[in-house]
Amino acid sequence: MKPEWKEWAQEAKKQFPRANSALLPLLHRIQRAEGWLSPETLTEVAELLDLSPQYVDSVASFYSLFFKQPVGKRVIHVCVGLSCMLAGSDELMHALEERLKISQGQTTPDGEYTLLEAECLAACDLAPVAQVNLRYRGPIPPEEADRLLTEEVSS
Amino acid sequence: MIRLTIDGQEIEVREGTMIADAAARLGIDIPVYCYHEALGPLGACRMCLVQVEKMPKLATACTTAVAEGMVVHTTGPQVDKGRKGVLEFLLINHPLDCPVCDKGGECFLQDYTFRYGPPQGRFQEPKIQKVKDGPISDLILIDQERCVLCQRCVRFMDEYVGEPELLLEGRGVETVVTTVEGRPAQSQFAGNVIDLCPVGALLAAPYHHKARPWNIEREESVCTLCPVGCTTLTTGRDGRIVRVEGRPVVDRNWGWLCDRGRFGFDFATHPSRLVNSRLHGREEAAARTTREIGQWLREVVAQEGGEAIAVVMGGLHTTEEAHQVYRFATEVLGTRRLVVSRDVPGYVPRGLNGTFEDLSAADAVILVGTDPYESAPVLHLRLRERLKNRRAPLTLMGVAPRNLSRSTLPVETLVTHVGQEADVLAAALKEAAGDHPAVAALLSQGAGIARGIDPTQVSQLSRVLREAERLVVVWDGVEPDVEHVLAALAQARQGQTTRVLPTFGPSNWRGFERAGFDARFDALTRVLEDARDGKIRMLILWGADLLKDYPDRRLVEQAYERVEWLLAEGVFVPEGAEHFDAVVPGAAPGEVYGTYVNMEARLQIASPSVNPPGQARPTKSYLTAWAHALGKPFVVDEEWDPYDDASGDLLPEEPLPQDIEAIRAPDLPEGGVELLVSAQVWANGIPSQILEARLEAAQIARISPLDADALGIREVGVIRVESAEGVLELPVRVDEHLTPGRLLVPLGVGALPVNRLRPGVVKVQRLEEVQTP
Ligand code: SF4
Ligand code: SF4
Ligand code: FES
Ligand code: FES
Repeated sequence: MKPEWKEWAQEAKKQFPRANSALLPLLHRIQRAEGWLSPETLTEVAELLDLSPQYVDSVASFYSLFFKQPVGKRVIHVCVGLSCMLAGSDELMHALEERLKISQGQTTPDGEYTLLEAECLAACDLAPVAQVNLRYRGPIPPEEADRLLTEEVSS
Repeated sequence: MIRLTIDGQEIEVREGTMIADAAARLGIDIPVYCYHEALGPLGACRMCLVQVEKMPKLATACTTAVAEGMVVHTTGPQVDKGRKGVLEFLLINHPLDCPVCDKGGECFLQDYTFRYGPPQGRFQEPKIQKVKDGPISDLILIDQERCVLCQRCVRFMDEYVGEPELLLEGRGVETVVTTVEGRPAQSQFAGNVIDLCPVGALLAAPYHHKARPWNIEREESVCTLCPVGCTTLTTGRDGRIVRVEGRPVVDRNWGWLCDRGRFGFDFATHPSRLVNSRLHGREEAAARTTREIGQWLREVVAQEGGEAIAVVMGGLHTTEEAHQVYRFATEVLGTRRLVVSRDVPGYVPRGLNGTFEDLSAADAVILVGTDPYESAPVLHLRLRERLKNRRAPLTLMGVAPRNLSRSTLPVETLVTHVGQEADVLAAALKEAAGDHPAVAALLSQGAGIARGIDPTQVSQLSRVLREAERLVVVWDGVEPDVEHVLAALAQARQGQTTRVLPTFGPSNWRGFERAGFDARFDALTRVLEDARDGKIRMLILWGADLLKDYPDRRLVEQAYERVEWLLAEGVFVPEGAEHFDAVVPGAAPGEVYGTYVNMEARLQIASPSVNPPGQARPTKSYLTAWAHALGKPFVVDEEWDPYDDASGDLLPEEPLPQDIEAIRAPDLPEGGVELLVSAQVWANGIPSQILEARLEAAQIARISPLDADALGIREVGVIRVESAEGVLELPVRVDEHLTPGRLLVPLGVGALPVNRLRPGVVKVQRLEEVQTP
């Protein structure tokens, strides 16, 4: 447990009448600092907020943007929703998989890139659309997949 | 009260009742998955859709409270369509592997689909694959693909039991039921989720792929492993019991079991089960053994009369078996020395005995000595349910030589010294009603000083004794004087209710009493003393194992050595086999029809599922053979009925005890560690292969972290315990919750012969530390 977490927990708790409401902000803050949420982290968060580890695990696993495994510096979400699929998201995903030599759901061994699929990102007008560290990029035709790997993004 | 109409029938129910429960009261079946009355409404599965007039859409019967004049239809085209749709959705990712599912034939997903579902789903896409037969624990398996995400299991463990070991992980169709990081569930109540799961997702590992519904017979029975006497269904297949399930009884219990009772059914097929007769220490043909015993009986009765024979009733026998023995002993042998095997000296007169309904209605409960979690697990659940009912607050106190509080059941415990419970209770009673004649009589010998106890705590207790309208005392029977305090308490509280629930065994002791045996400890002690003094020539133990159970081992040894004939009947060979002239194998629970009387003094029927194995025989066949040898007529009275017309399934009521015996203040030696004993269902000496690891883990003495530190033991070790009576070597483990200064030893475990010593101050020394990996 990082020493500052205690403080963060206190701050989060102050904002809400009940401890379980403080859970999401605290998880976000810790993930921002650590990059992901390890099982130990979840147990420690449970302790900090006096919740059961089961409850924290349930919440953390409910949201796909809480990472329960380490992720790369650049997290790429490729939308596989209907519009994007029709516009070529399968090919975009394959292109990325080939370039990065990983399958979707994985992280490159050098820890640079993580490739994930996402359900409709609510930007069908930009199909096929992707997110790099949650910033929208699109449309990205499959042959321009490289743009997602090289373009400047803030982390 | 609210009046409404369901399917054309009018009914009046309490405000706040859900439509589902109101319908159930009319005998109308509304299909449900997530809803369970004990857990409250959730509305997760949508299976219970009904049509309510003036409501625009179908409503969930489990979350919609009744309203005045409401008109509900539980059938009709709209409802059918709704149910069909829900089932089609529930089955989208279901593997449809009913032919290899243990619950096939006993499954609500099958039943409802058959009754209300679509013949075919329209979903063409591949199904999501999840874990099949993954472990929840060594006893429970999960097939995540079959789960309908009703959350009964998760909510039961979290809200009802308070040990949140299960969780839902993920979201949407990916959601699964699992444990935190795959750690096995430990709770002794976890097995209930198998019964609760409406589909084939949670399965009993020992029953996995063991039978199909058409192979088995399910019989209504009762768990005999502790005095709660939970109602069960026993599944027999090919002459073996293969499964035990909880059996709900309407308005009485939810059908919960603890895992000790649910999975511990295999004692009857344990390798140590006695299936052959033994004569002079060797196996012998049943006929020969029975004949020999008949001759001995004839000899003793002819030479000295029946009074030279004493019978000790014990074990897991039914009330009917006890009554057969009683009749044989009185009519054929002619003896009145008929006593019950006891492991603690306390006694509860019938006039004080309470019921679980009393517990539900109580406004105060005092636990004396006993921790129900260990001594009577399902009683712990009942207390928790009672405590959680916010509409009626409950004061829960404890008087015991150790702290009884648990995270699942906070108990304001007044921690006494070992042997001081009665005195502390008496002190509180003195403060509450000192001038009542019954209390004055109780205190006439100077008891009630509560030495060393914080007076504010005693006052707090006395306030409860004085003010509680409906008080229930749960008592472990370790300190016999408590009986007299309770009798005086009940007298002093005339007008208010005072009821007692005993957690001591043998589990059917009240049934033995009903059958004619004297269940008081003193009666047993007198028999043993008479045997020691040569006044008894033959001692017959019917299911009893006195060396293991009786608190003074020395006296039992002396009695065994002195009597001329020592006989035993039982399911296992009693301890001290070398003393016995003959041991005959008896029938176990599940092998004979009969009734058991539980801690409420309630009679419950158990039907047999299997026949006794090997040479094991029911009680009556031995008795008939011996009566024949004695040349006396003896016909087993199959008509004898322990029920009483006036009191239904409870034993006949009796008035409150009138005579109050005075008690003395105890001599409390100073310093040292205090040895205390307690009955525990996980360490009650009844073996089980299914539960072997867990039983072993429980069969150990316990010390507090503080004392462990002083002894230099981190987790597990072996200690030497010394007192005036002798010396004992005991394996111990550290118990985080145990009160410092106490050494707790479970009763009735052969490897922990704590009855060599007496409870109280002992000297403790470390022999070795056992390193756990
Ligand atoms: S495992 Fe069974 S009880 Fe638990 S959520 Fe799934 S269907 Fe319901
Ligand atoms: S609480 Fe007692 S009677 Fe009930 S299942 Fe457990 S051991 Fe059996
Ligand atoms: S389908 Fe990709 S944004 Fe909607
Ligand atoms: S039973 Fe009503 S929603 Fe599940």
